[in-house]
Amino acid sequence: MELYNNLALGFGVAFTVQNLLYAFLGCMLGTLIGVLPGIGPVATIAMLLPATYALPPVAALIMLAGIYYGAQYGGSTTAILVNLPGESSSVVTVIDGYQMARKGRAGPALAAAGLGSFFAGCVGTLILAAFAAPLTEVAFKFGPAEYFSLMILGLIGAVVLASGSLLKAVAMIVLGLLLGLVGTDVNSGVARFSFDIPELTDGIGFIVIAMGVFGYGEIISNLSKPEDEREVFTGKVTGLFPTKEDFKNMIPAVLRGTAIGSILGILPGGGALLAAFAAYTIEKKTKLRPGEVPFGQGNIRGVAAPESANNAGSQTSFIPLLTLGIPPNAVMALMVGAMTIHNIQPGPQVMTSNPELFWGLIASMWIGNLMLVILNLPLIGMWIKLLTVPYRWLFPAIVLFCAIGVYSTNNNTFDIWMVAAFGVIGYMFIKLGVEPAPLLLGFILGPMMEENLRRALLLSRGDWTVFVTRGLSASLLAAAVVLLVIVLLPAVKSKREEAFVEE
Amino acid sequence: MALAKLCQNLVMKKNDFNLPLKTAMVWMAFCLMVSVGAQAQTYPSKPIRLIVPFPAGGATDIFARTLSQKLAEKLGTSVVVDNKPGAGGTLGSDMVAKAPPDGYTLLLATSSTHSIGPNLNPKMPYDAVRDFTPIGQVGNAPSIMLVPNSSPAKTVQEWIDYARKNPGRLNYASSGNGTIVQLTAELFKSQAGVFVVHIPYKGTALAMPDLISGKVDVLFDSLPTGLPHVRDGRLRALGVTTAQRTPLAPGVPPISEVLPGYESTTWFGVFGPPGLRAELVNRINTAANQALKEAEVADKLQKLGIEAVGGTPAEFTSMLASESAKWKKIINERKISLD
Repeated sequence: MELYNNLALGFGVAFTVQNLLYAFLGCMLGTLIGVLPGIGPVATIAMLLPATYALPPVAALIMLAGIYYGAQYGGSTTAILVNLPGESSSVVTVIDGYQMARKGRAGPALAAAGLGSFFAGCVGTLILAAFAAPLTEVAFKFGPAEYFSLMILGLIGAVVLASGSLLKAVAMIVLGLLLGLVGTDVNSGVARFSFDIPELTDGIGFIVIAMGVFGYGEIISNLSKPEDEREVFTGKVTGLFPTKEDFKNMIPAVLRGTAIGSILGILPGGGALLAAFAAYTIEKKTKLRPGEVPFGQGNIRGVAAPESANNAGSQTSFIPLLTLGIPPNAVMALMVGAMTIHNIQPGPQVMTSNPELFWGLIASMWIGNLMLVILNLPLIGMWIKLLTVPYRWLFPAIVLFCAIGVYSTNNNTFDIWMVAAFGVIGYMFIKLGVEPAPLLLGFILGPMMEENLRRALLLSRGDWTVFVTRGLSASLLAAAVVLLVIVLLPAVKSKREEAFVEE
Repeated sequence: MALAKLCQNLVMKKNDFNLPLKTAMVWMAFCLMVSVGAQAQTYPSKPIRLIVPFPAGGATDIFARTLSQKLAEKLGTSVVVDNKPGAGGTLGSDMVAKAPPDGYTLLLATSSTHSIGPNLNPKMPYDAVRDFTPIGQVGNAPSIMLVPNSSPAKTVQEWIDYARKNPGRLNYASSGNGTIVQLTAELFKSQAGVFVVHIPYKGTALAMPDLISGKVDVLFDSLPTGLPHVRDGRLRALGVTTAQRTPLAPGVPPISEVLPGYESTTWFGVFGPPGLRAELVNRINTAANQALKEAEVADKLQKLGIEAVGGTPAEFTSMLASESAKWKKIINERKISLD
């Protein structure tokens, strides 16, 4: 029972008073910054990195990991309460979560997010502990052709994200793809659409678009309505906890989300992102129970599934980090830096040469998840109170925090101008009745798709059949075609009504 | 500074003290002179900003933070690391190029911002030679030639033979067009006379799965990213790119044994804005050299795969010139461009 011994070692390491304290500190900090819209874990970890030099390596990593999860939990909180996705994985939570909050059901939404995330986190940690080594072999099967096919699948699924007209959803996806083109091309090093502005050669930041379109756009739109018509939040908050009915609906959603997240998170390079989108898509495809709110208007499953998926995904995304040394996102890249400072090379030999570090980190992940649930559930009452703050005090605070958050990514005031511009664009979107979520998915997936497509073709020396001759890629493309058919088939009227709410 | 304020107060209260205007002016001038003189003599009198033109957590950033702690001790003031990433390092470098030469804004740059970038990009916002004052080299990082376990080659010579037998069928990975990773490979190709296709990635770490599974055949990577995989047996290290064996990777022969004259390393150096006074340059240079000699710093740098290398400003300047010329030649020869 090697696993048992290893876990025992890990818990022994993680349960020291010092390490528990650091875990708690990390979770607190992480939640705070996650809640502040815009200020993300990347900036915080970068700021705190020098402070951790003095700490022993395990404690430092535990604290940084705590900040990371805390920020994810906190990010869901702002997504639900104020329509601001703090991280790319919270974009999907916004769709139903914010609607639930507007209907006075912010409490159950937050609880669903918290509990779903906790469950998924536990499962993800177990998978990480038990299957880390064999799962990396799976990751090796994924070459550029497979990634491309997977992303095509994801992109088609993005259409289902919108609850409005099909044409508008497609238009937003295409717009997102175009925005994703801005920046330096990987394959040739040419700066595209940068208009000779140096700040644009690295592309438009995700945070910039998300804050602008979701946050500022919503604020402008709210302010444009006369005061009494501003139905920002209903004063009546119907209970802080999900009802039995909610739980019955949530549980299968959480299970599905966890499964999807665990699988997709293993893929190095953005698997965890897709997890939330995929989970939401699949939830939407399942039949609605009688009396259930349709998706896009505050269905609790639309919060529970993506939240579980992205938490499971972020746990399993540690696998390529710890076994291959490949960071799945910017935050993990910082952690790699932290490990290097502490004399640990993240990579295959971490498990064998520093077992107490590896298993201590895994044990502390579980502890961190537990701490976060304990921290966040009682805090829900406090967050609800926050919503009762009069809007004229709330919105300047949001504007300020978003600006600070955006500035903190690159220390560049140009980004703040960009956020303002996207705020206006976001307002236009609201006026035109288009949904921004598909735009963000297109924005994220577009560059990845292009990179993998061109790389696959480079490797195959221009042979397009490589996408169908490789088994895994072929099956993914087949699934994409099936999804496309389901989505477009107008003859299947009942299915279409399920997927889209006609305007 | 306090002295000047005192003088000013005295002057303003001249009604109380009945100080004639002329005397007050003389006093003020004297005080100001003393305070200015005092500033010139007691550099540094406020915190120094060390700009890192790359994101936090990367090798350059960690190097800067390690160095800044020790520099602060040697110079007697705090040295704050400021990350200004973007445009491959040109944004941060440009900031320092346009900063005042008072010794309070410094840059930690690498060969990509000052030796390679300017030769690749015709539209750089700065001139790498004119717009900076070289203060001193601080580090040197070699690259290592990595092949998957499935590769038939076990030495550099075997690999060259393998590549010559399969022209155009092998691939090499890089972290992008115009990066040191790509140029190192192109230099190899040029000297070995082989034709290998370039496959860019967004970072060498992302190329690892494809390298390990054999989809690409070789990668010239930095030591910290590559060595763990070698130790674990997933990859094979065929050679290092320094001119001689390096203590950072003992047991790996230099490629120059097979290709005489082959050398490709990433240098790290500290720059100041243009027109920085010689005395400040020397002051910072001395402090940096002292910092590099500390065992703690050398140790941390070793983990990053960087050799702590010091030197005088003059040595730095001449190294810059020769490196720039070398890469310019390769870039023109191999027709590498950003188009």
